[in-house]
Amino acid sequence: MNFDFGERELSLAAKIRHLFGPDSKDFPAQGESGDLQPTRDSLLQWMKVLGQTGYLDLGLQDGKNSVPLAAARESLAAVAPSLFLSVEVSIRLFGRLISVYGKPDQKAALLPDIQQGKLIGAVGLSETGMNIESPLETLAVPAQPDFLVSGEKCHVVNAPIADWIAVAGKIDDRLAFFLLTPDHEGISIGRRIPTLGYDGVVISSLSLQRSPVPSGSCLGPFEDDEPLRKARSWEDEILTAAGLGLMRRALDCASEYARAHKSGGKPIIAYQEIGFKLAEMLTLFQTAQLLAYRAAWMAETGDRETEILGHCAKVFCTESAEKITSAAMQILGQRGYLKGNPAEEGFRNAKYLQIAGTSTEISRVKIGDGVLERG
Amino acid sequence: MEFSFTPEQRMFREQVIRFARKEIVPRSADHDLRGEFDFQSFRKLGDFGILGLHFPEPLGGSGADVVTTVLAGEALGEAGVDGGLTLAYGAHTFLCADTIFSHGTDLQRERFIPKLASGEWIGCMGLTEPGAGSDVASITTRAERRGDRYVLNGNKMFITNGPIADVAVVYAKTEKDVKHSGMSAFIVEKGTPGFSAGKNLIKMGVRSSHTSELIFEDCEIPAENLIGQEGAGFFMALQTVEWDRSALLAPFVGGMTYVLKKCVDYAKQRYQFGRPIGDFQAIKHKLADIKIFIEAAKSLCYRIAWCKDQGRPLNHLEAAVAKLFLGDWSLAPANDAVVLFGGYGYCHEYEVERFFRDSRLAPIGGGTSEIQKRIISKLLQWT
Repeated sequence: MNFDFGERELSLAAKIRHLFGPDSKDFPAQGESGDLQPTRDSLLQWMKVLGQTGYLDLGLQDGKNSVPLAAARESLAAVAPSLFLSVEVSIRLFGRLISVYGKPDQKAALLPDIQQGKLIGAVGLSETGMNIESPLETLAVPAQPDFLVSGEKCHVVNAPIADWIAVAGKIDDRLAFFLLTPDHEGISIGRRIPTLGYDGVVISSLSLQRSPVPSGSCLGPFEDDEPLRKARSWEDEILTAAGLGLMRRALDCASEYARAHKSGGKPIIAYQEIGFKLAEMLTLFQTAQLLAYRAAWMAETGDRETEILGHCAKVFCTESAEKITSAAMQILGQRGYLKGNPAEEGFRNAKYLQIAGTSTEISRVKIGDGVLERG
Repeated sequence: MEFSFTPEQRMFREQVIRFARKEIVPRSADHDLRGEFDFQSFRKLGDFGILGLHFPEPLGGSGADVVTTVLAGEALGEAGVDGGLTLAYGAHTFLCADTIFSHGTDLQRERFIPKLASGEWIGCMGLTEPGAGSDVASITTRAERRGDRYVLNGNKMFITNGPIADVAVVYAKTEKDVKHSGMSAFIVEKGTPGFSAGKNLIKMGVRSSHTSELIFEDCEIPAENLIGQEGAGFFMALQTVEWDRSALLAPFVGGMTYVLKKCVDYAKQRYQFGRPIGDFQAIKHKLADIKIFIEAAKSLCYRIAWCKDQGRPLNHLEAAVAKLFLGDWSLAPANDAVVLFGGYGYCHEYEVERFFRDSRLAPIGGGTSEIQKRIISKLLQWT
């Protein structure tokens, strides 16, 4: 047992903080603009820089979460929330699908660029009618050269700016991922969808109409749906870490303001109404951190409770993120309601984290199923 | 950062659970309902080595580290030991015996620790007063030096183990008008003239622990019963806080695990609308919320224990965060467990009712949630 961060965690977190130090203060604003070309340019620029720190390599090859990865993620998610989500989807979702499930030639073609941050990836998982137990409706039928794939995907992060997209579907009722470029025949990428939060993340729908896909461009077909479950757990890890980042950012901002802003001749933190609110926020944040790090550690060790603990962390971190960012807005008063401050931005972002990936409702069902099964 | 227990710790945890299930849990419900302290089980805790676990072997302990000690507490709760007995154990071992061990003289250690570690003697700690709870430095119990003796006058309130204690660690003012540095700690033994305990207070929960007032009326004790130096009492009280927030809270976290197991069993065997209620999402959500609380709370307790094992002093922030979370965030899952059991959950026969009553102490005892928020907000202010 050891509750201190190791040298590796501390050094990577320091590198990330340094990257986004005072000299780079314009980045988050640029990255949050959401315009396609600047967002793509900015994402590539920052992935390249992050690649030099070792951040992109963490957990890429083995597809495993770990404490160093969780700590590095929290650091990045706290300074650049939208960049974080875009990078993670590209690296730890698309990249991991290639590194864990790719064929040797696919790995050789794509992994070096992924590791160096030269390639933006996206993954199409969700479908309009897809519920927890529903089968994928994106289907491949045999044809020349190999398959014709048809289906609709919704809410695909990075889709409008991606170089490569992995689309989940079925071949003969078996799971597969189809690797496509945006200019591939039969693919149609929707317009950027306006969203409540994560202003700098570009999200769109995706449609495949009899898109010809050679078998060499498929991951799978697989014997079971394990790769899909894995991809969803990777997505949940990302959203959990994003929650930690939002919490830290909002808490820092609110604490700083409460120490500096005076009312009645004393800093507002000295009033119990504010000080106690901050105490509750810090308590939630530290509890969420420990839970998320323990889940990450457990994933690293392969404990049988890994999946349940991952869901626990996802629910707790994403719901706490909404509570903390909301409280931060309240502490900041009217400033908190103005667009562009970390509390307001975090409050809008937080809702996404509870909806995306495994929603908090479904996560609770899965936790419930898990304890019923084990009990 | 890593969260593993050693194989020895895991094995010990299983041993504690087996022991408690066999020797203690069958007696818990009855003692809780009758509001009676279970002397037999307490002594068995001593025989098994729990009461003195972290004390050195020559003093009757096992020399365990703090993490292992916390693990034992969690295991007691997980086995189903009621909150009354675990509270009595906590007050005895950590608030009383550990204060003597950590700050007392060799003579005091040799005289008191072996008998406290075995459970032959029961200990308590008298700090809170009718007019001084969270504001401990405003206690009014006086200890006046007269030659080779101290004379104590005053009243203590809500003292766990008060009516049954053989030994009390009592905080009193040796300098009347000085707040923190005017506090000192003393050992007072049962039977000392002028020392008496009030009647057992009837409580909502933790009913098998006895709680009372302690009364000091010209109570004369030998000067060698002073623990440490005069004026060092406040610091000693602060040090007990870490135990209070780790070892005393751990049985509560374990208890929530026990309750979850009970809820799972019930959700599987209780049928409504032709299927087990565990099939309904609303029930799964309640089970999930209990599980999330347990997993979130665990690391908070062990973080303090680990910090203490590293020799880091006090750890105010970690302690306050743990106490606040366990106190305030445990109420909803404890309530969920009762609701999940429906009408049965409202009956004494089902242990979730007892746990619900016991859990209500968590945001009150050992420093209210408001005091934890005050500590955290002060630390944030100075950061």
